[in-house]
Amino acid sequence: MESAGMKIVIDDRPVEVEEGTTILQAAKQAGLHIPHLCFHPAFVPEGSCRICLVEIEGLPKLELACATAVRDGMKISTQSPRVREARRGVLEFLMADHPLDCPICDKAGECKLQDYYQEYGLFEGAFKEAKEKRDKIIKIAEKLILDRERCILCTRCVRFLSEITKTQELGVFRRGIHSEISTYEDAPVQNNYSGNLVDLCPVGAITDTEFRFKTRTWFLAQSESICPLCSRGCNIYVDYHPGFTRIPGTAKIYRIRARENLEVNGRWICDFGRYGFPSLEKDRGDKILWKKEGRDTIMSWEKILSLLAEKLRPRHRTKNTSNIAVVANTWMTNEELFLFKKIFKDDLGLKKIFFADPRPGSGDGFLLQAERTPNARAAKEMGLELNPVNLDDLSKNTDVLIIFGPFLADLHDPSSLKNDLDKIRTKVLVSSHRSGLESYVDFILPASGILEKTGSLTNRDGLVQKFSAVCPPCGDSRPEWSVLIELAKELRINAGYYSRLTQPEVILKEMGKEIAFFR
Amino acid sequence: MIRSLGYFWELIKGSLITARHFVVNMWFHTLKLFGIKTKRRGAVTIQYPEQKKALASRHRSLQRLLKRQDLKPRCVSCMLCVTVCPSECIYVEAAEDPDPDIQKYPSTFIIDLSRCCFCGFCVEACPEDAIRMDTGKIDLAQSTRQDLIYDLDKLLK
Amino acid sequence: MDIVIVLIKIVLALVWFLVLTLYLTWLERKESAVIQDRVGANRASIFGIRILGLFQPFADAIKMIFKEDFVPAFSKKFLHTLAPFLSFFFVAICITAMPFGNDIMVGGRTISLQIFDANVGLLFVLAMLSLGIYGILLSGWASNNRYSLLGGIRGAAQLISYEVALGLSLVGLIMVFPSLKLSEIVQSQGGLLFGFLPKWGVFLQPLGFIIFLFAALAETKRVPFDLPEGESEIIGFFTEYGGLKWGLFMMTDFMEIIIVSTLLTTLFFGGWQVPWLSADGFQFPWGGQWQMARWLVIIFQVLAFNIKVFFFCWLQILIRWTYPRFRYDQLMDMGWKLLVPLSLVNIVGTGLLLMVIK
Repeated sequence: MESAGMKIVIDDRPVEVEEGTTILQAAKQAGLHIPHLCFHPAFVPEGSCRICLVEIEGLPKLELACATAVRDGMKISTQSPRVREARRGVLEFLMADHPLDCPICDKAGECKLQDYYQEYGLFEGAFKEAKEKRDKIIKIAEKLILDRERCILCTRCVRFLSEITKTQELGVFRRGIHSEISTYEDAPVQNNYSGNLVDLCPVGAITDTEFRFKTRTWFLAQSESICPLCSRGCNIYVDYHPGFTRIPGTAKIYRIRARENLEVNGRWICDFGRYGFPSLEKDRGDKILWKKEGRDTIMSWEKILSLLAEKLRPRHRTKNTSNIAVVANTWMTNEELFLFKKIFKDDLGLKKIFFADPRPGSGDGFLLQAERTPNARAAKEMGLELNPVNLDDLSKNTDVLIIFGPFLADLHDPSSLKNDLDKIRTKVLVSSHRSGLESYVDFILPASGILEKTGSLTNRDGLVQKFSAVCPPCGDSRPEWSVLIELAKELRINAGYYSRLTQPEVILKEMGKEIAFFR
Repeated sequence: MIRSLGYFWELIKGSLITARHFVVNMWFHTLKLFGIKTKRRGAVTIQYPEQKKALASRHRSLQRLLKRQDLKPRCVSCMLCVTVCPSECIYVEAAEDPDPDIQKYPSTFIIDLSRCCFCGFCVEACPEDAIRMDTGKIDLAQSTRQDLIYDLDKLLK
Repeated sequence: MDIVIVLIKIVLALVWFLVLTLYLTWLERKESAVIQDRVGANRASIFGIRILGLFQPFADAIKMIFKEDFVPAFSKKFLHTLAPFLSFFFVAICITAMPFGNDIMVGGRTISLQIFDANVGLLFVLAMLSLGIYGILLSGWASNNRYSLLGGIRGAAQLISYEVALGLSLVGLIMVFPSLKLSEIVQSQGGLLFGFLPKWGVFLQPLGFIIFLFAALAETKRVPFDLPEGESEIIGFFTEYGGLKWGLFMMTDFMEIIIVSTLLTTLFFGGWQVPWLSADGFQFPWGGQWQMARWLVIIFQVLAFNIKVFFFCWLQILIRWTYPRFRYDQLMDMGWKLLVPLSLVNIVGTGLLLMVIK
């Protein structure tokens, strides 16, 4: 680090950067944006788009900002008339063969080419000839479609596949104006990270079938969240459409994109997470039900919680809680697990605490982990033992069973599940999704999905990441933390304590006081 | 005292004006009742459903969607009209057309006329000249809300 | 038999009164439209027949009957319902004292074309008109709405103020025709003044007439004096009413117009008297004569009464569509500082004149 101290001036702003920094990165440090299309911080610069040209004092020609390293005392201008003129020229060349079908392009609204045209272009096209026709719908992967007319040959996709996934399914074929991106002998792009190509593509050349033509980008509200589908805890953007007032079912999550967090996931997310989000929206339970003598009765939260509390309270009073069993899961947030532990383990003193989590899958050695649950680490740090459900232990001498989460149905076959659950008198299910468990239980409490609640998750490396709700709760559902707090209030245990915990942030602070890990 | 007398005089003058209007107009109304045609009419009112004024050439009436030569809708469902619509009355669902020259076509196109404020922004926003408000239909009232929801078939007619 | 005759008279008078009220609503719409160069309500039709929208009152009535009968929360339901009926009743009962025509002889029996010829007929009418205030106050108070209450109080204040002028303006008239009996007042207007002028109240009491006209207009609570209601700007006493109850208030308004018109006619324009028409035909002051049968004379007289009433109804509607509303202080100033002193002057002047003549 002693070699630091390259003092340069960019647009009259003095900056001090390390040796080997490119002009583009230095400008970023100075808070300036130099337009770039082919450059991506994760890859080796290629310098094929040539829109990042800047003027360096003393040099006769304009230089590439993305590929030129700074030298001490450099004076760079990124907005001089010459530079702007050059950018305009570059844009005009790029546009000459770009179809300008923005109205039907899914990238429109977040397209770099559009942005730069607005800033530097605004010309009448000089090319009066008809645009070149190329193939517009080429399936390069199961979910990816390549549009060669829109492609500006920045080769970000090629470089991603060769540098990050090292699978090299795409390449640039042929020469000159005939150059085109293609797969080798029609072997499709097949890896768990292909979805990143859509994010990477600066124009709308690569689109995915999940999002293609579904909506326009400017309708979407972008919120930051954490991917819950494995224990990596990748940072994501969730693009949510608040919906059209009169058309039901239009409020939904349209896509998931990678959010940069170099500590966790770099700039990428896996396809399992990216395309797994529709499953989070499917089969949602949104009604509070009490199966009273076989008939479904729709209840209010106040009523059903006081009913449950009535069942639990006598047992708590008489310190006879051995016949209560609970099944948790590690899809619950830190706050929820903490409350769960507080109420059921500490206050009620339950012995039968089990965990039902989704079955582990296989990791891929990069981002995707075998552990398909976002918060197992937190449960361990809290001192909860992740006992898997043993149906015999669960049903033996059990009067009241509270199940959190829908995963129990996936772990055991229905007949034995039904057999064992039938032995228990009162069964409560707090679940965000319908899974088949509904038919075995008496009380169904809809929980909010993970994208509908605020809280924090602890990833496998022990990083506690906060996130906030992306969309409003589905139907009558409530997040588990609020269900747990309300239940605790109804049970009248430690009332002062629980009534203080009104928000996830407050709960997290309380956790920090009690458990060193969360401090 | 004199002033209040003047005031009184103005009161009488005022009522004489209204009385004159009444008498003159009533005279023409009576003539009309007996079928006598006069140059002047008793009222300036246009009796709307029977008498209609010609619409101005730029008048914005019921929307319509235009068709291509092969009778497919011209709309490419770019949703710019949805974007620009201030009353959020347009809803478009896109679908993939097998023809690579078209690519995107609207599988659903709904205009909720009960929300529409006839501002004409959708027409101005349309890059394909696929929507126009020149049908000249202005009597759009319906007895149910459902009838005011115009879908693709109705709009293409 | 007397009871039957009275019943028939009541029914006939009520029918006349209510039909006139109904068509006054039509006249109001039509006249206002014609004044403003419009056409006015002309759409209501039966089987496509429109005839100038003459069915409009029926359409209105049907609409009002089928509208929701709404009583606001926490209001006194009984009083809320009672108020419009009170208003309606006190106006409707006034018609009993009105002489529609001279006595007629049917089968040897003398029948007066008047339901109730009280000795104090004039006072009776004035009393009933003042009792109408209770309807207004009650409706404002029972609505449980502060604005309605304010409207009701404004209304009561206005009516009470103008009642003073209304009563005082008639004192001179009573001095001239020394009777409170309406039939007698009409009878005594039958003679001639200076040999050619009908001996109508308006010629004997011109100042009294003007004061009475103003005060009576204020009593009807219509536009130059519509402070209690002020439909478009200030909120009035029947804001919380809808449907038929609101309709009753509206009808009360129009019935007040008719009562004021009949009063004007009876007191100042000779009631059923036709100028120069005596019991057996016209006797013109220039010496001409026109013999007529007794029944024809009666018809003439009843017609004359009706025409006069219609004219004053028309005039009141004309006034309503001509003038802007008074400000409240102007209204009070006019009542207390102009009309009351003037009517006192009128009384003194009339007294002096009567003394001089005698």
